[in-house]
Amino acid sequence: MPFHEGFVSELVGRSAIVERGGSRDVVGRVADFVVEHPEDTFPRIDAVIVKTRHGELAAPIADVASFDDGGIVLTKAPTVVRPPDDEALYLIEDLFDKQIVDVDGRKVVRINDIEIARTAGALRVVAADIGVGGLLRRLGIAKIMPRVVDRVPRSLIAWDNVAPLRDLSPTQIRLSVSEKRLSRLHPTELAEILGDLSAQDAARVVGSLDDERAADALEHLEPDVQRSIIDDLGTARAADIIEEMDSDDAADLLGELPEDRQNELLAEMDAQTADDLRELVAYADDTAGGLMTTDYFWIYPHRTVTATIAKIREIAPETEFIYYLYVLDQSEKLLGVLSLRTLLLAEPNATIHSIMDEEVVSVRPDVSAEDVASTIARYDLLACPVTDDRGTMLGIVTVDDAIDAIIPERLTRKLPRLTKRGQQRRAETVG
Amino acid sequence: MRLRLSRRSLFAFFAVLGPGFVTASAGNDVGGIATYSAAGAQFGYATLWSLLALTLSLIVVQEMAGRMGAVTGQGLAGLIRENFGLRITFVTMLALFFVNTGIAATEFAGIAAASELFGISRFIAIPASMAIVFLLVLRLPNKIVERVFVVFSLIYLTYVVSGVLAHPNWSEVARDAVVPRIVKNPAFLVTIVGLIGTTISPYMQFFLQSQVVDKGSRARDLPAIRADIIVGSVLAIALAGFMIVANGATIFQATLHGGHPIDINANPQAVDFARALEPLAGHFAEVIFALGILNAGLFTAAVLPLSTAYIVCEAFGLEASLDRRFREAPVFYSLFAGAILLAAGLVLLVPKESLFKLIIYAQVVQGVLLPLELVLMLVIVNRPRVMGSHVNTRTLNAIAWATAIVIGSLALVYVWQSLTGA
Repeated sequence: MPFHEGFVSELVGRSAIVERGGSRDVVGRVADFVVEHPEDTFPRIDAVIVKTRHGELAAPIADVASFDDGGIVLTKAPTVVRPPDDEALYLIEDLFDKQIVDVDGRKVVRINDIEIARTAGALRVVAADIGVGGLLRRLGIAKIMPRVVDRVPRSLIAWDNVAPLRDLSPTQIRLSVSEKRLSRLHPTELAEILGDLSAQDAARVVGSLDDERAADALEHLEPDVQRSIIDDLGTARAADIIEEMDSDDAADLLGELPEDRQNELLAEMDAQTADDLRELVAYADDTAGGLMTTDYFWIYPHRTVTATIAKIREIAPETEFIYYLYVLDQSEKLLGVLSLRTLLLAEPNATIHSIMDEEVVSVRPDVSAEDVASTIARYDLLACPVTDDRGTMLGIVTVDDAIDAIIPERLTRKLPRLTKRGQQRRAETVG
Repeated sequence: MRLRLSRRSLFAFFAVLGPGFVTASAGNDVGGIATYSAAGAQFGYATLWSLLALTLSLIVVQEMAGRMGAVTGQGLAGLIRENFGLRITFVTMLALFFVNTGIAATEFAGIAAASELFGISRFIAIPASMAIVFLLVLRLPNKIVERVFVVFSLIYLTYVVSGVLAHPNWSEVARDAVVPRIVKNPAFLVTIVGLIGTTISPYMQFFLQSQVVDKGSRARDLPAIRADIIVGSVLAIALAGFMIVANGATIFQATLHGGHPIDINANPQAVDFARALEPLAGHFAEVIFALGILNAGLFTAAVLPLSTAYIVCEAFGLEASLDRRFREAPVFYSLFAGAILLAAGLVLLVPKESLFKLIIYAQVVQGVLLPLELVLMLVIVNRPRVMGSHVNTRTLNAIAWATAIVIGSLALVYVWQSLTGA
């Protein structure tokens, strides 16, 4: 009777029986299964490890005549010494209880069991069981109360989605859905997964993403975790990623690092970005200066509406916040502001000077976060410009950053953070 | 710029008071206060020497947990699962859940005892404190809550002042702190096992390791982690020592001079232990004692069930987060609520006279569980494939094994004593 499908946990511990000319000898017990080419989509099981009185021995799968309730029936006694760990994947030793990233569920879970089935002429690994059913089966509860276990919804990850994270030692295999699919996730969701991984694994996942995706995900993580990921990435790569982050988030991150490390990273960035960040790092976190980003859209007053729209098209992909346009003179003094709406409704030939609002509400960089937030609320703004004593434009505080700053401890982040990191779930930039 | 600098240095100060410090102080909960008080009141300074030995053990055990967290990036529950499989993990988690629920019960017992000092019935105080605990965890921002409790923890300093004001015989204190002395009284063994249980609790290793992992610490951060653990452990145990001295110099001395003796087997009351604060607080001793117990009780009653739920869910790969709704993380919320309801319910069922006894015995159960947990930790921390070059040194192994063996045999002797009634 050929074996069709089942779970590894149901086979482990069964007797290994050698059948020769009518006599059945129990030679040991099933201990594990060996896969020699784990990189295959549904890898084939190549051998069964049998625990005998002479130690653990491997029986090639060709020697397995059948699986039955009594155990595994072999055509001859296992004699091969088990292959070393670094050459083969052991289903129980290397996969059971290890972590796996469930990209669809956006969480990190553990492999409770492995489903195997006979397909395409061989016994293959088809899925990882990550559900309660697997837990109950392994604890032996499935045998006592089969009906209860049957009613537990099955929770499997098909093995063709599973790929090991790169450069991991085989003894610590943690598996993930392929990196391509990781990079299609929303940054918040990606950050959620990263938050559940160990810092080392999180750094490895971030390292596998492109700079922009990595920056997006990093922005959504806690400062402590950001710091340890950045430390692991190497200076050049870390600098590339920080450059892609929003300047306020990048400055916050740099502010967490020791000064010499800050300088190392800044030295790797382009001069303009580095200068901006240096200024931002100097401000205290809970002031307008600490909250502001230097990533805003500005324009000279003598430009026409048409020219400005053309400029926005050119620059907008790089700039997150384009709903307010700030009008500056040559010395970067803030002259006025206009909304994207005003711009779109104006005559194409009108100059910016003629349509801008000269009554600009702005704050000084040392104003407290609460005051910035109340200014933004009072004037119904999406962002508030930050200027120095001479009226020079320094940056803007967007409404979402202001909200975050006055609710620093989200209601979702409670006592004590312990094993799961509370993610900083920021509202997406307005729009 | 100047503001920034001062904030930095403040941050650096609190960074030193990291997971190690928080965890060690968490040992000074209701069970801690009760056990140290009972030890001092009943045996004077005779138990002090065990604290000195415990300091070394506490540091070594906590350092192992911190190192495992920093090197592997995983919590202790996850490591146990990966190294010992599901069954041992299941048994460990089951034991941890019930032991921690037992400790949570002692916190509620403390709250009940303290509120009765104010003349409030525990049938009002316990439901009220349950409501407060749920509210704290589910509604209030974490940093604010933590700060309030840290400030209130300064109440413990009253023991230091009170201990000094009671004019203990310092040379006696010093001798007993260094020279081991055994009092021939069955209760002495109970007290020592209880002291061990409350000073090195099984949950503390899970707690510390999770916090180290949570901070994203790495192997290179080990010097800072060690410093934090050493400072935290020494301070927490010094405080415990002062609780013993304060109780020894007041209640025990009074007993020697014909006062009413305290026997923990004979249902002592909270009010008896408040007398240790009289040299400092006079008539307010009871109030201060009650406030200290209330603070420690509420904090731990909130933190412990919550961290237990996190740890168990980590072990089984289940959803665990206060960000989720009940439907998304049913096991997590059920464990949290279940532990609190069980703990509070237990206290309401136990007769009033036995509350303090319940507290002391919960510490003893911890003393029994600890060696088992230590063995699991020792196996993992010595595996090169898990810890790389950061496996235990011989000295650390020796101290940790000695701790496990001594605590294990004390616990066995204790269990044997209780069974045979010897």
